Amino acid sequence: MGFTKYWESAKISFNNNLMYKADFLANSLFIGLIIFIFTNLWKVVYSTESGIIEGFTINMMIWYFLLTESIVTSPGKVIETFGEEVQSGEIAHQLNKPYNYVLFKYSSNISETILRFFFTFSIGAIIALTFVGGIIVDWKTLPFIAIVIFLALTLHFCIMALLGVFVFWMEDAKALSFLYNKLVFVIGGMILPLEIFPPWLAKISAVLPFSYVAYHPAKLFVMFSWDSFFKVALTEIAWIVVTIGLIAIFYNFFIKKLSINGG
Amino acid sequence: MKAIIIKNLTKEFKAKQKEAGVKGSIKSLFKTNYKHISAVNNISFEVEKGETVGFIGPNGAGKSTTIKMMTGILFPSTGEIKVLDYNPQKQRKKLAYNIGTVFGQKPQLWYHLPAIDTFNLFAKIYDLNQREYRKRLNRLIKVFEVEEFLKQPVRKLSLGQRMRCEMIASLLHNPKVLFLDEPTIGMDIIAKKRIRELIKILNEKEGVTVILTSHDLEDVEQVCKRLIIINKGTIVYDGSTKEIRNRHLKYKVVQVILNNKVSSLGLGLKGVKTVFKGKFRHVIEVDTSKYSIQQVVKKIVSKHDVEDINILDPPIEEVISRIYKE
Repeated sequence: MGFTKYWESAKISFNNNLMYKADFLANSLFIGLIIFIFTNLWKVVYSTESGIIEGFTINMMIWYFLLTESIVTSPGKVIETFGEEVQSGEIAHQLNKPYNYVLFKYSSNISETILRFFFTFSIGAIIALTFVGGIIVDWKTLPFIAIVIFLALTLHFCIMALLGVFVFWMEDAKALSFLYNKLVFVIGGMILPLEIFPPWLAKISAVLPFSYVAYHPAKLFVMFSWDSFFKVALTEIAWIVVTIGLIAIFYNFFIKKLSINGG
Repeated sequence: MKAIIIKNLTKEFKAKQKEAGVKGSIKSLFKTNYKHISAVNNISFEVEKGETVGFIGPNGAGKSTTIKMMTGILFPSTGEIKVLDYNPQKQRKKLAYNIGTVFGQKPQLWYHLPAIDTFNLFAKIYDLNQREYRKRLNRLIKVFEVEEFLKQPVRKLSLGQRMRCEMIASLLHNPKVLFLDEPTIGMDIIAKKRIRELIKILNEKEGVTVILTSHDLEDVEQVCKRLIIINKGTIVYDGSTKEIRNRHLKYKVVQVILNNKVSSLGLGLKGVKTVFKGKFRHVIEVDTSKYSIQQVVKKIVSKHDVEDINILDPPIEEVISRIYKE
């Protein structure tokens, strides 16, 4: 019986988000526009190169970017949500229920995330197919890529939830959210694959959790190998376990510092 | 049997301070000043099972902070809390199965979905047996008369309708203690009356212990036999609601708006004090132990052309200052 409440939370959040179809579509179309701009940018870059940059063809580069963008933007503004709930005092209703607060947030967020990922990736895929074409993917590997993407989305949530827990104490989420976003953008490999970085930076970035949110899953999608699959999936799981441990420690610490606004 | 035991409870907050203007903003970049705010200051009280207790005080008195500590959401700086023999901070989840909360200003229903969806979610959250849940839900739907708008999105409901649904959401798991934090805020008189009646039914028929906060004295008077008045974090009164009525609420405030300019109402009644004299608007205080409100209103209407009349209890701040004066 213990987990049905989390499943139910995922379902109700999914239903609630279906009410925002126009929002979803607008958000995905905007990301589609970014993908379109990057497609043209890469076309210019590739026209001066031999057709391959650090092992990536233009098609691989575009599909890589489509996947990183879809993963990173799909969960929405998790850290800000923690901040808003603390600032508005709404957290009072979330904390007085018999469930694990962070797990409950995860279950409602993940269903929304999957919905948004589906929208964004589909629109981006249409743009990529129209302007540069597809890439060669072995269809049998897709379920395994899906596992890695799911783990990446979970890790992405866990890191944001960890920073969100700090909001109990700091109250303002903007600084943390800005910092994390920029880390994922750059050293997480969202904009560019790590191969393009100076080797020392690429080496450091490749072991940090941010690259397991964006770079590693996207690279696996465009250059699948079983070795990489196992390595990426297991490392993602390891980082998820580490962040859950840190969430538990800091949650217990910062919950005592929480002051609820209003009333 | 005690439902709640509070001993020497204190809650202090650290609030950031910043001087006004650009200079203050630049200064705050380098040095943050904090001010210690004592929201609740060494309070103690006990509540018996099945009691209805009104917890009132002006804004910022510490009512909501105390409720949030009793429900395990906030941690006290010092002191001891037991609710149904649970320590709310250490046994928050276990306690949550046994208490219900309604925060008037913070909705818990999903805004874009019908209330029934939130009820179904709460049934899972509280691990309710489906058959028992259906039975209880049907009973609550009847008592609270919400059937006709149960399937409408919450955003389409009136404040009174929404609050009735909020109360059902907090009662589905059959809580032993119900915390109601400003449940009637922003409501019209009819909706307020309905909510008060429902709270009384819950207490009388189900034996639910009710803790009600409000800054509306009338709310509390209608529902609670016992009253705790809190001001600046300390308890200034803990006793029967009747006693407060007899000692401090023996007068009413009457606000009259006239159609003609008059310098004074000129009622010539002893025990009727003029509080405000305007051209059209006049406010008087009526000692109800000397004159009934009916007598005074009759006299006003017979002497003047009245556009509007309002009869109010004195504000809570006034009652507190009278208690201090004693």
